[in-house]
Amino acid sequence: MIVLKDVWKRYYRHHIFHRSLREDIISLFKRKQRQGLEKNEFWALKGVSFEVKKGECVGLYGPNGAGKSTILKLIAKVTYPTRGTISVDGRVAPLIEIGAGFHLDLTGRENIHINGAILGMRINEIKRKIPAIVDFSELNEFIDMPVKKYSSGMYLRLAFSIAIHSDADIFLIDEILAVGDEAFQEKCLDKIQNLKKQGKTMIVVTHNRKLMEEVADEIIFIEKGEVIDTSSLATLYSKLKHTK
Amino acid sequence: MTGIPLRLNPYRDLFLIFIWREFSIRYRQSIIGVLWAILQPLSMMLLFTFIFTYIMPMHITDYPYVLFFYAGLLPWSFFSSSLNYAIPSLTNHYNLITKIYFPREILPLSGVAVAFIDFGFASIVYVLLLILFKAKISWNIFWFVPLFILLLVFTASVALVLSALNVYYRDVKLASGFLIQLWFFASPVFYSIDRLSLKLKLILFLNPLTFIIENMRRCVIEGRGVVWWQFLFMTVFVSLLFSLSYKFFMVTERKFADVI
Repeated sequence: MIVLKDVWKRYYRHHIFHRSLREDIISLFKRKQRQGLEKNEFWALKGVSFEVKKGECVGLYGPNGAGKSTILKLIAKVTYPTRGTISVDGRVAPLIEIGAGFHLDLTGRENIHINGAILGMRINEIKRKIPAIVDFSELNEFIDMPVKKYSSGMYLRLAFSIAIHSDADIFLIDEILAVGDEAFQEKCLDKIQNLKKQGKTMIVVTHNRKLMEEVADEIIFIEKGEVIDTSSLATLYSKLKHTK
Repeated sequence: MTGIPLRLNPYRDLFLIFIWREFSIRYRQSIIGVLWAILQPLSMMLLFTFIFTYIMPMHITDYPYVLFFYAGLLPWSFFSSSLNYAIPSLTNHYNLITKIYFPREILPLSGVAVAFIDFGFASIVYVLLLILFKAKISWNIFWFVPLFILLLVFTASVALVLSALNVYYRDVKLASGFLIQLWFFASPVFYSIDRLSLKLKLILFLNPLTFIIENMRRCVIEGRGVVWWQFLFMTVFVSLLFSLSYKFFMVTERKFADVI
């Protein structure tokens, strides 16, 4: 269960954050937080509220810069809202820009350990899951090779395989099917459907209609940091057709 | 402070994996591997011994110079390499910090842990030197352990604060080489504060490393003990520093992903 209540997120445009650090220190002694915007700041999210129930799969849809990735970051607890509250029940596995934790000098197998641990797996759990992960990635022959020698497709396949084998309750999926050949994409979709059947909660960000169509129960439209519409897939397409 | 074990416990496997990863990355594609951990204090020790025996013959201590310098360089190397690993640890993992949640202190602390492994290897040489130069070992050698714990906690505090600050200002990384060098001369690594006046001693004791390094050497090669009240005072001071540093880290941590 994920609940966002009137979530606002302020970002800085600048490279240097003097004010930020000073504020953090001062806010240690002060209860009230600054609410407004100052020069070079902007709202990435302006009062976003929605709920995702357990086992639901929700798609976030909207133009670039609408705030979709910010929402995923907030749910992953990587960053915190300026205002409003978020409550997330269950372990989160972010599949955001997969392979972020890979180290190029280490082998595929070693990277499975690292990425698995980053996704919250126990060492024993990783050891147990390695055969399944390697199988799914179809990288059996190359698994003991340094990742720097992998092609980008191989890299992606390994990363996706690790993430998908996590025991998390909530999966955050951000534009991950952009790379990889068609056969593997098909396999990923199958796996995602599979996770859905197991009752995993999912939040999907994609511009890929096919993926949206296949997995999302509900679609939330976001534009300029605001939820402009929430609807089921059928109404979405009738609307899209209407506007075209 | 009781919150720390509670907070880190679910992530202990990740912590172990990070330590193992740092360690294996470092010596990958290297011929002499972990010997590097020994080489640094060993070569510095030889250099100092050479300088103060032949180039600038100076009476520093009655104990063999080789032992004296190595005894100071061992804790110093631990401190300086901890900082070298820890300070850029958060900014180097930019792509993790902006994407996945885990207690961020795992990154600088695993830097300290890797330096601890190096320290372990370098200690083997220390033991060999102690045997070779027939140092008079007394029961006071056991002081080494509580002193090392002080050093560990102090190093972790500095690592937490500087790595967090480096997320905000890269100046920290730029200044760190220079800062560590200054700190080296301010610590009794190749000198002893034994014969200094009380006033000078008190000034030098502002640097916690002075107390730690000086006493680590005393209790091992000189067989002398540690003054209890000084030790208690240092323990209180270092514990306070650690809890403040941790607090600072926790406050700044919330914004790492936004400002990194």
